[in-house]
Amino acid sequence: MYTPFDFNEALSHRKEYIDDRLREGSPVVGLLWENGLLLLTVRRTQRKVYEIYDRQMFSGIGNQSDIENIRLSAIQMAHQEGFERSPDDVSSQRLVGFALSPALKKAYGDQLTVPFVVRALFAELGRVPASDTFITLNYDGEYEQHFDKAVVAGTAAAEDKMLERLGDLPNRLSLTDALSSALAAWCVGARQVMKRAKDAHTEDDDYNPLRDIDEADADAVFLKDELKTGQLEVGILERRPNLVNSFRLLSKEELERAVQIAIGNS
Amino acid sequence: MSNELAGDFWNVLEKSGHPLTRVPQIALSPRPTDSWAGSGIIETHGTTVIAVKYDSGVINVGDRRATANFAVMYDKAEKVLPIDEYTLLAISGSFARAMEVVRYLRTSFKLFERTYLQTMSLEGKLAELAKVVRAGIPEALQGIGGFIPILSTYDVEQKDGRIFFYDGMGARFESTEFGAAGSGSQQIRGVFDYIVKTKKPFHEMTRNEALKEALYLLDIAADLDAATGGWSKVMPLAKTISSEGIADIPNDELKSIITEIESTGADRFRRVEA
Repeated sequence: MYTPFDFNEALSHRKEYIDDRLREGSPVVGLLWENGLLLLTVRRTQRKVYEIYDRQMFSGIGNQSDIENIRLSAIQMAHQEGFERSPDDVSSQRLVGFALSPALKKAYGDQLTVPFVVRALFAELGRVPASDTFITLNYDGEYEQHFDKAVVAGTAAAEDKMLERLGDLPNRLSLTDALSSALAAWCVGARQVMKRAKDAHTEDDDYNPLRDIDEADADAVFLKDELKTGQLEVGILERRPNLVNSFRLLSKEELERAVQIAIGNS
Repeated sequence: MSNELAGDFWNVLEKSGHPLTRVPQIALSPRPTDSWAGSGIIETHGTTVIAVKYDSGVINVGDRRATANFAVMYDKAEKVLPIDEYTLLAISGSFARAMEVVRYLRTSFKLFERTYLQTMSLEGKLAELAKVVRAGIPEALQGIGGFIPILSTYDVEQKDGRIFFYDGMGARFESTEFGAAGSGSQQIRGVFDYIVKTKKPFHEMTRNEALKEALYLLDIAADLDAATGGWSKVMPLAKTISSEGIADIPNDELKSIITEIESTGADRFRRVEA
């Protein structure tokens, strides 16, 4: 007989299964800047920051096919809604709350379905700066709205550290400063999840190449090392008179400049 | 979440049962009259639009009139509409359907680009337009909803402006020099050839030369077609597409060319002596 205990047990197994797979994902940082929003991450293979609609973008960690599934569903729904009503009526809140969250929750709770391995971050450029928003969406369908900053990472501890590093942001930063800040938060998060992963695999602390370095320099060394195999990726939504093309990925030159500043500052 | 429709906006609409993809069940009997006067439906039509090449791309010009039978419904209609960064659609015929098609194409091109992370090819865009023109045939046979577009684009690979015109069945033709559609287009069709044969091909003209010819053509269409508005009340709409994308031709520029045209040629007010 299938009991409530079995249901709880099954869910906790699924949670464990998903958390294990998310743990080492490269974190994503969402931050406001003076003229919009940015999403920053370091990717190893596939692209990670995507345009969804005129004023919406998305990134996430997890299984690539699940990220793709969510991306395609969000894009399709946004375009259908934008065509049948108006582009002004497309909102991340509705995409996440109406379409994506229930589907994730259903897959998570359905014992006969493979759950989504994904933690997603949506960013939306509002009609006015005060309504710029981020929404984080978890694999179990839970979602949260954030206003000045948002992060997704493999563990809650990493997310906490990243938010702590970003600190309070009473004023919007310039794009350059916002990039530095987001990059620093990414380093903190990535180091945290890698530390967790290393601790799980080895007890040998001597292996840590950063152990004799000041915390301030550690980020720069870590970032340099990570960028040997990974690639910095930043998508921005920029407030302009015509909001149709508000999304763009930062160019290679812009990214190199941001890395130089981050390494120089450390 | 199901993604079997990813990237194809027509399929998305078809599955949701959107009217754009369905044949309307209006006529239960064959078409009763040419104008559909008996149906109670008053359909607004866009009139004359013109596309000509010039040395750096394509110019589109359209008058601002939209008519329904003998009534002028609107004198500020925009019939030259950007679809994406390098594509203009000049529309004639059923205004309702044309505007929906414009919205469809904008959404379809963007959906493709965002889904597949690459822009739709020119061939792909032309096929999308053919699909929506063809889908309007059942309506057009019932006497409503027919529209004829001209698609102008700048081909960034060939570094050349290109003009495509369609028939009511969705057949597509590429023009080397010009295109025109709408009620006044038949009256001026031969004039395009006359200009190419006696002056020079449009693609060798400067922007100013080609614009002037296009405005002359629009003026003749307005003279010879009762539905075409010309420029007597409202400035025409003119846009260019070049390697730098789509740009509006400012009203002041249009005004100065129109003044020049009106100051030359035969006196319009000369009386015919009995």
